Amino acid sequence: MYQKIGEKIKVAGVYKDYTFQPFKFQWNGRQLKIDKITLVSNIKNGLIKKRLYSVMIGNDIFRLLFDRESESWTIDEVWVD
Amino acid sequence: MPDINWQNKILHIDINSYFAALLQQENPKLRNKPVGIVKDVGRTCIIAASKEAKKLGVSTGSNAYEAKLKAPDIVLVPAQFDRYLDATKRLKKIFMNVSPNIYIYSLDEAFVNISHCQKYLYPDVEQLAKNIQQQIQLELGEWVTSNVGISANYFLAKIASNIAPKGTVLTIDENNLDGILAEVPFAEVCGVGLRLEKKLKKLGVTNPYQIRFYSQAELELFFGPFWSRELLKIAYGEETNHLALLEKPLSQMKSVSRSITGYHLYDDEKEIKAIIYNLISEVIHKVRKMNLAGRQVSIFLNGQDQFWADHLTVKHFINHEQEMFEIIYNKLYKNWKRHFKIIKFGVRMSLLEKMGQNSLLPNWQKTEKIHQAMDDVNDKYGLFTLRTGALLNQPIIKPEVTGFLGDRIYQLGE
Repeated sequence: MYQKIGEKIKVAGVYKDYTFQPFKFQWNGRQLKIDKITLVSNIKNGLIKKRLYSVMIGNDIFRLLFDRESESWTIDEVWVD
Repeated sequence: MPDINWQNKILHIDINSYFAALLQQENPKLRNKPVGIVKDVGRTCIIAASKEAKKLGVSTGSNAYEAKLKAPDIVLVPAQFDRYLDATKRLKKIFMNVSPNIYIYSLDEAFVNISHCQKYLYPDVEQLAKNIQQQIQLELGEWVTSNVGISANYFLAKIASNIAPKGTVLTIDENNLDGILAEVPFAEVCGVGLRLEKKLKKLGVTNPYQIRFYSQAELELFFGPFWSRELLKIAYGEETNHLALLEKPLSQMKSVSRSITGYHLYDDEKEIKAIIYNLISEVIHKVRKMNLAGRQVSIFLNGQDQFWADHLTVKHFINHEQEMFEIIYNKLYKNWKRHFKIIKFGVRMSLLEKMGQNSLLPNWQKTEKIHQAMDDVNDKYGLFTLRTGALLNQPIIKPEVTGFLGDRIYQLGE
């Protein structure tokens, strides 16, 4: 089940093929390096566009949300077995 | 000779177990496991199942209890409708790169008509189908597989993708047509529902080919004039009326409706009123967004085994939520002597037309100004950011996309 986190995070990434790809992020004082981006979706609420990244770090799966208006990142959810 | 132009080439693309495949794509821990998608946390109706769950007998519409009996390890995960809609928009782009003549049939199905350009651009249609399958996997991920059916019309292309093994391409042509029609069960035939299938079974007909042994006059006795003609088309693999309409897309939606199945049986008038208002707000928002207005409003309510519905047609066009609510709640619902608790709610606005001349009545204009201001805020920040007091302190039912994409003109701007 996905568990809601909803905490702001700092993300570093690279531009590849004209799109931003998160590479690592800082959360709870730890730096977590992303092993794989498994799915990216563009979603919006009204005109506020967001991009939802599902990423794997080791055996863990996170949903990271990028608010394209405020250019801020949130760790939205984490998968808990 | 069947009325089929074999020079035409239509592809039907069907993503395998779409919602579940996208979930398994984003979450590799769920791959090769039975997974059920539910609408939300706490919901028990499975709206989509993974191929692993289907193999164990879990089908769409099962409840969680039944599903767990069949697949004790099934994992239930809430749907992410925004993601499915985004994925469908990306699929649409892939198909548009193949041909301008495409039709998004539902969230996970589309037709691509290449009849006009096949000869020069796509001499090998099966190779094109495989390329499309690869592009889908490049766009959405390796776990998202699809079936592609190829044939000379929409009807046969859809049968082809329905009966093809998962992740493959199947062509129906002159050579295999009769064999396939003699084997395909009606469950895989677009347009033949359960009731029609049962009626056909009573005549000893269990596949389309067997219909050929009946004349139109004989069929008419059992099925009436329309279905007797349609059944004969199905018997020979000709385009059915319903699918032929894809060539004549609607310029606008004819009706907008919204329904919701509640978490429990509702008996409290305050709760019922808020739910009805909530659904009306969404319908009006969509209607206004498409610059439409309607003259007929309807309400339909289900109890555990009971059903009630009513509608009212008015002379003027409606596009304000208060007015729709006034008719639905005060004129229709309040006049009904409710004798059951409600589990499912639905409202509809129909006889929609493009908004032309606005009313000159001062009250109407004042309400319109308020609506326009609300539209501006809600368009920017999302529906229900600004809402009527009737919905304060109530859990908000947010818009969602349905699998069959009944509001495709609204969602995809088609």
